[in-house]
Amino acid sequence: MRNTIRFAAASLFAGAMLAATAGAQTISLKGSDTLGAKLVPQLAESFKSKNDGVKFEIAAEGSSTAFPALANGTAHIGMSSRQAKPEEITAAQAKGIKLKEIEACHDMIVVIVNKGNSVKKLTKDQVAKIFTGQVKDWSEVGGAPGAISVYTRNTSSGTYKDWQKLAMKDRNYAPSSQKLAGNEQIAEEVSKNKGGIGYVGLAYAKKSGTAPVTIDGVAPIAANARTYAYSRACYLYIPENADATAKAFADFAISPEGQKIAENLGFVPNH
Amino acid sequence: MSDSSSSSTVPAGHPFRRKGRGTDGLFKAFFAGNAGLTVVILVLIIVFLVREGAGFFPAYRGELELYRKAGLEFVDIARKDLTAHEQMSSLLNRAYYAQVNAACRREFQRSQEATQVVGYIDDAVAPPRSALERVTEGAGEEGAPAELLKSLNARYQSLLADALAGRPGKGLPPTPHLSDEERAGLLQELGAREPLSTDEPALVIALQEQLAAKQADASEPLAGFRETINAFASASEDLDNLIYETGESVKATKEAATLHEIEVTKRDTLLAAVPGTKGAEERAQLEADAKAAVTTEPVDYRAALQPVLGRMGEFEAANARLAAALGEVKAALPSDLADEKAQRYLATFRKAEDEYGRELADTMPKMQAWDFEKPVGLGATISGFITGRDWITGGEWQDFYGIVPLFVGSLIIALIALSLAIPLGVGAAIYTNQLAGGRQQRFIKPTIEFLQAIPSVVLGFLGIAVLGTLLQETSMKDSFAWVPGFPIEQRLNMFTAGCLLGLMAIPTIFSLSEDALNNVPSAFAEASDALGASKLQTVFRVVCPAAISGILAAVLLGLGRVIGETMVVLLVAGNRIEIPDFTEGLGVFFQPAHTLTGIIAQELGEVPFGSVHYRALFVVGMVLFFIVLAINWSAQRLLHRFRIGQD
Amino acid sequence: MENPEQLIRKGVHHDGLKEGLVKAFLGSLTWGIVIVALLLFGRICWDGVPVLVKPDFPFIDVAFLTEKTETLHVFDDANAERHSLPASEYYQWVDEHGADAVFNAQTYSYSGGGIAGPIVGTALLTLLSIILALFFGVAAAIYLSEYAKQGRFINLVRLAILNLAGVPSIVFGLFGFAVFVLVAPVFTDVPSDRSLFAIPLGFTWLSFQGWNSSLIAGSATLACMMLPVIITASEESLRAVPQGFREASLALGATRWHTIRKCVLPFAMPGILTSSVLSLARAAGETAPIMFTAAVAAKDDFPWEGVSGPLGVLQSQVQALPYHIYTLAARIPTSEYTQRAQYGSVFVFLLMIFMFSTLSIVLRNRVRSKLKW
Repeated sequence: MRNTIRFAAASLFAGAMLAATAGAQTISLKGSDTLGAKLVPQLAESFKSKNDGVKFEIAAEGSSTAFPALANGTAHIGMSSRQAKPEEITAAQAKGIKLKEIEACHDMIVVIVNKGNSVKKLTKDQVAKIFTGQVKDWSEVGGAPGAISVYTRNTSSGTYKDWQKLAMKDRNYAPSSQKLAGNEQIAEEVSKNKGGIGYVGLAYAKKSGTAPVTIDGVAPIAANARTYAYSRACYLYIPENADATAKAFADFAISPEGQKIAENLGFVPNH
Repeated sequence: MSDSSSSSTVPAGHPFRRKGRGTDGLFKAFFAGNAGLTVVILVLIIVFLVREGAGFFPAYRGELELYRKAGLEFVDIARKDLTAHEQMSSLLNRAYYAQVNAACRREFQRSQEATQVVGYIDDAVAPPRSALERVTEGAGEEGAPAELLKSLNARYQSLLADALAGRPGKGLPPTPHLSDEERAGLLQELGAREPLSTDEPALVIALQEQLAAKQADASEPLAGFRETINAFASASEDLDNLIYETGESVKATKEAATLHEIEVTKRDTLLAAVPGTKGAEERAQLEADAKAAVTTEPVDYRAALQPVLGRMGEFEAANARLAAALGEVKAALPSDLADEKAQRYLATFRKAEDEYGRELADTMPKMQAWDFEKPVGLGATISGFITGRDWITGGEWQDFYGIVPLFVGSLIIALIALSLAIPLGVGAAIYTNQLAGGRQQRFIKPTIEFLQAIPSVVLGFLGIAVLGTLLQETSMKDSFAWVPGFPIEQRLNMFTAGCLLGLMAIPTIFSLSEDALNNVPSAFAEASDALGASKLQTVFRVVCPAAISGILAAVLLGLGRVIGETMVVLLVAGNRIEIPDFTEGLGVFFQPAHTLTGIIAQELGEVPFGSVHYRALFVVGMVLFFIVLAINWSAQRLLHRFRIGQD
Repeated sequence: MENPEQLIRKGVHHDGLKEGLVKAFLGSLTWGIVIVALLLFGRICWDGVPVLVKPDFPFIDVAFLTEKTETLHVFDDANAERHSLPASEYYQWVDEHGADAVFNAQTYSYSGGGIAGPIVGTALLTLLSIILALFFGVAAAIYLSEYAKQGRFINLVRLAILNLAGVPSIVFGLFGFAVFVLVAPVFTDVPSDRSLFAIPLGFTWLSFQGWNSSLIAGSATLACMMLPVIITASEESLRAVPQGFREASLALGATRWHTIRKCVLPFAMPGILTSSVLSLARAAGETAPIMFTAAVAAKDDFPWEGVSGPLGVLQSQVQALPYHIYTLAARIPTSEYTQRAQYGSVFVFLLMIFMFSTLSIVLRNRVRSKLKW
């Protein structure tokens, strides 16, 4: 008896080495937290309510995770809050995967501060100085005295890099900045820290306890998408030879219905 | 055991036994193989850590070489001055504003209190308000449906009434600095406000004006100081521009070099695929692709650097301007500022002056001696990793991997955890083992053992959800203002993480120390009693010293557990990759930090396989592995010695 | 009740006040720990019990245990009444009432529905890892207690076991990632580019390209972690079987293996299984080793859905309770709407762990009282 069980276990173990193909009706998405934490899950839920039997796997660990996953074939669609770098496209190409870029929506990166903070307006220059660590006290930018605590996303996030480009002239973040896992966590910490400042996608700027900051006189609301300093596009990447379900989902994301969901979540639609 | 195997039905005899002997060897080999598996796993762990780690240093060296060749290092030498200058002017700025604001403390408080009241009401009525907004905005010419408007308005009014009475949440914020009339007036105005009005109440505006007027008053006598600061701050403009421009240039060089490298790699990949092709057509296609893959020339670093190095004169001028500004500011600064905090900033500036001056003087010789062709040694790379104070990744400029901030973070957290866990764990062990009665023992032991069963991720969650917030809120209370580091700004910090890890280490230390005390032969205590020693003397002079090596081993094993713990520090420590600011004294414990374990957990899932960053994480893992190995090994040695001493 | 030693020592010599003070001080430390521990459990139960327990029959919120995780939608309707619905119900509601009837919509990821996925994932992970660890661990223990003689190999093995027991869990995570996820061998017709090397077998390839992040990779990592504990405990149980059993069996002419199988293992097995329950609790509680080797934050399917056969199950990624709690703690804010998912998951998780722990203690006591030689 015992032997039989052992041999069963052993053969199970050995059998695990055999490759098998995954089910075809599952769409696996990997990449940006900006897209993957709220927008894509809701698109997926809405898509599921129309297409029975489609399943989703969503991992939102940062844009940089999208491209290796696409190249390795472990994801059907990549989510990214920045454009793919040439080396990422080349790496995928080298494995025979041509990536198609789809502009899913636009996003504004909103600077948020604690609700109790009297500073509600900053200039681009001040923002840059705060995030690079040149300015360390709120009194230097016209607020009540108190140390500034900077919260940023972690390094694999597209927002982390975009922000460096858009707001910081590519300089390094202040070493005292704290790297947090996602938009929600930044909003949470800023709401708990009187001297906190951070950046989040527009979709996350409504959290109670935080207040959005007007930049150079432009309020971060969807209507100002053109004049606001920190706007950027968010992308979906899909292999050209992807299966029909994945393509259908990508099309759904940019359909009017999909864009409506994006708009409800605080993203700026493409049109 | 109901199945009767063939062997037992065969009558015992020669053939069976011979057969048995033959297979017996096989069985033995099989079991020995499995025992060897532990060795294999340990070796595999070491091999894979070392394999990836060994790959790290050459790759990192390659990156650093490009960093030098492309001239990024050159710009960074100049940038160091800029950063130092910015820190210095920030100090002056803070001193200035501290002085100005010292006079306006009351106005600040009044203004803040009024704003808090408005914020409280706004929060409470936010849902119907934003619904109303959308309904009225979205409505066409015929207007919004009257019924909907009515119900939303009713909802708004009822919530508003609730809020004015202070019913939701913690109630209306207290306003000790506003008079009763002011408060009543404010609430009345808020109550009468149109649902969609965004106007600030009159009192809020008035208070802001008062504050601004007071600040203007206070800054008047400081106008000279202000000008001095401005002059000092603006002295860096030249250098700033210069660094920005040369920075762009060297970055372009680096990008060109990277692109060329990628193209070469791509060509090689394509060419490598050629032999595997089936048709001639496909092969021709691949070869053509390979040819087309490389579109750029290799970078000529010397030529690319020319325009940057050619501006040495400008760098010199900018450097001289900074030095001159420092001289001027030294002379023009007021000797004393009235406010204590302002004075502290000023004193810090004074202290840093000379150091900064020396750095400025050092810069130009360094820049002139800088040579882009000087190779980066492997030793320098390794020592750069071990002593590096920066862990900067995912940046546009250059990634640096320095383990010091992570190591220091791990160490401080372990220190906090152990300073809690040692007295508590050992004390509880002594009490339970020597002083407590049987009934107490039967309750204490299982409870502390259950503590050990709590998974660390649960403790981490509690740290975020309960302990962090609790500590922060407690620290805000005025009665605790004397504690160094209070009030705590960061909800996630080393102290919270250390407390939780201490809680995790207590059961380990407790049960191992208790074992050690238990193992002390009872003859020791009996002899001590017989000699007339008191209970305390017996416990602390005889039993504890006899168990000391076991207790020390318990503490070491607790330390090993604390250093290697991941989830709590990942969730609670705050993830700030910086060497904590030790000038804050004990307040340093309330700063956030990142740890050796945390960085692996946070970044491994995100980095491309095989990249330098990926390998750096394996080196961190290697460091961690050997630290914990060393700790456990010392603990084993201690225990071993203890066992010998017992004989 | 009291042993003679205590009787002798009691009241012989007293320091009076000093002794009382020291005793009170140490006692307060000890009871401080106990109180903190109780407060912790109390806090979790306070918020966790209401999630799981209902006032009416069947008294347990079965849906929380059997439903999949969804996004929670919180919104006001036109009458300013607040609703909080998981995604599936929310879209039904929107279909019925129209999207314009939704005001102040807020969404909370992972906060709606139940935690069936994580529970199932954790169950599979621990089950598979304990099977693997028992298989290899017991075999190693048999060698150590029955076959081995003092020598270099044994010393090496013992050293490895000791050191392995102290390796931090995150290092096991790194190891599992580098070995099982990236280079473990698979049979495949088309070796991937990532493959370390591939051996042609004629009809197929044996390619060292790893099992990807999957149930089997995570279980193998956990098994490696449990191995030292299982070996030590099993060896102890084996050694506890009286030498006479073996001698009698060998004297009757049985082979070594036959002796082990018939006269040693059956008596050691209860002890081995008991201690393995305890390591089961440990394995279930670990997060760091499975972070990169098996776990995903969100997954619609149960592991057996949408895959081909048992091999597909082994290759699918799973949700796991500890990782789910990590996601709930790190990725979503704490608010009245997320509390249910957060404290509910933590409560269920702790309940599972404590059930395992208690079970192992009870079993241990029973085994000890039953098998006495």
